Amino acid sequence: MSSKAVLSHLHRADGSATYSQNGYTIIGAVNGPVDVQRRDELPEEAAIEVNVRPAVGVGGPRERHLESLIQATLRHLILVRSYPRTLIQVTLQVRSLPEEESAGIGSVLTNSSLTLLPHLLNTAFLALLSASIPLSTTLTSAFVVITSSGKLLYSPSSTDILRAQSIRSIHVFAFSAQRSLLLSEGEGEFDVEEWEDACDLAEDRCCRNAGIAGENMDVDGEVMNLADFLRDVVKEKVVKEQKWKTAP
Amino acid sequence: MPREADISANEREFIQQALRENIRLDGRPFDSFRSLELSFGDEYGVADVQLGKTRVIARISAEVTAPFPDRKFDGIFNISTEFSPMASPAFEVGRPTDAEVILSRILEKAIRRGGALDTESLCIIAGTKCFSLRADVHIVDHDGGLIDASCIAVVAALQHFRRPDVAVEGENATIFSIREREPIPLSMLHHPICVTFSYCDSGEIMLVDANLAEEQVREGEVVITMNKHGEVCQIAKYGGTSVDALTLLNCTNVALEKVKDITKFIQSKLEQDAKKRDVGGLMAELSAENAR
Repeated sequence: MSSKAVLSHLHRADGSATYSQNGYTIIGAVNGPVDVQRRDELPEEAAIEVNVRPAVGVGGPRERHLESLIQATLRHLILVRSYPRTLIQVTLQVRSLPEEESAGIGSVLTNSSLTLLPHLLNTAFLALLSASIPLSTTLTSAFVVITSSGKLLYSPSSTDILRAQSIRSIHVFAFSAQRSLLLSEGEGEFDVEEWEDACDLAEDRCCRNAGIAGENMDVDGEVMNLADFLRDVVKEKVVKEQKWKTAP
Repeated sequence: MPREADISANEREFIQQALRENIRLDGRPFDSFRSLELSFGDEYGVADVQLGKTRVIARISAEVTAPFPDRKFDGIFNISTEFSPMASPAFEVGRPTDAEVILSRILEKAIRRGGALDTESLCIIAGTKCFSLRADVHIVDHDGGLIDASCIAVVAALQHFRRPDVAVEGENATIFSIREREPIPLSMLHHPICVTFSYCDSGEIMLVDANLAEEQVREGEVVITMNKHGEVCQIAKYGGTSVDALTLLNCTNVALEKVKDITKFIQSKLEQDAKKRDVGGLMAELSAENAR
């Protein structure tokens, strides 16, 4: 599982990012703060508009649902009160999905809109970073799958899921840098203990360890901590932007 | 944002003055395209075209449906273009701008009605089953020349796309997934390419592949769609000042050169991609395609 991110690669948008993981590639663009239409205007804060565009066809209820989830999450992240009566526009274009999903083989996956959500959230966040929109905290998001045998799978690829065969539930979590839970969406059958286990696992992978940074990278190089990944991306961005200062 | 900010009077004057002195802002000759990049995705039928700073992604997808009752022997082919605020904040979701309407109409005329795709080959069982092909054009970055870039993207994606193989036995059709049988390329009759000419000074100055600033300064545009054999598929001129007939004829000659170059470029990229996919040289054996 390797995540890849490219920041600020589009010319017209104020901020942009392409994020790919496990066969999902999503292009995100942020424009803002821009003029807002009268009907969307909020007197004391910035309005946030999220557009999710599927790879094939025009958006339907599934996309609208994802949009509303993302909008609600980002609203608490962006310092909306510093930009009253403006609009922050987030556009997320799905570029490619894992083969199984686009071919419609992964039965559970195709029926669920949740597997796409963490990737969309991560992309939206990176695009916001690239647009230099003031934020209150960072965001990392991941999903956990509980199989019918009660096993927890962290962010499995579609082939992993095919191998696991039957899945009982899918959970999406998003965490802030302070390890507070920003979003929790679940689908399927599960009880409170299972949910707590899933939440702990996601938190462990999403948030920076209190101990030494990059500690859990040595586990067969298996999973890179998402917060560390985010830090690397930002570091790269800052180095690039400060090049004019450091150049001889 | 309701509309794109207009170019300032100073900038307009500057660009026009420079054009009269035979200079373009980016230093290219009048009859030259910006640098063209084309890459294909991991899946079949995804083409990513970069024309200067403009970037367009076309994606072809196929599904099986019933054909239209009045066209029993034809498959279905649709092109959908929808602008998103990603390309420019002036584009609103769900409210097509003039540029969007013109783009979809020209692509429709050039590729679909120009008969680039042999829709009869998409028929599986006459009257009951056929492939429905869909081309989604995503405009990711907008710096002028959308029509040219989108047309290249769609034509390249169509050539790159492979549809699933089918076997028909009487009334039953079996569709084989990519894993079961090597998918088949579409049968294309020709490859139309659009070349947009922007003119200033009522046709005195003809620009190929104008960027966004030049598009805002121009007096009008002429879109010529051609294939590499020099057959003109369409000429579109929506308003603007009138242009001399001889100038237009000259444009078609320039367009032919450009179309030949671009077609060759697409072909070379397709061959590169085929070589990359052809691991161990098994493609020839796997393919069920008949030599024609």
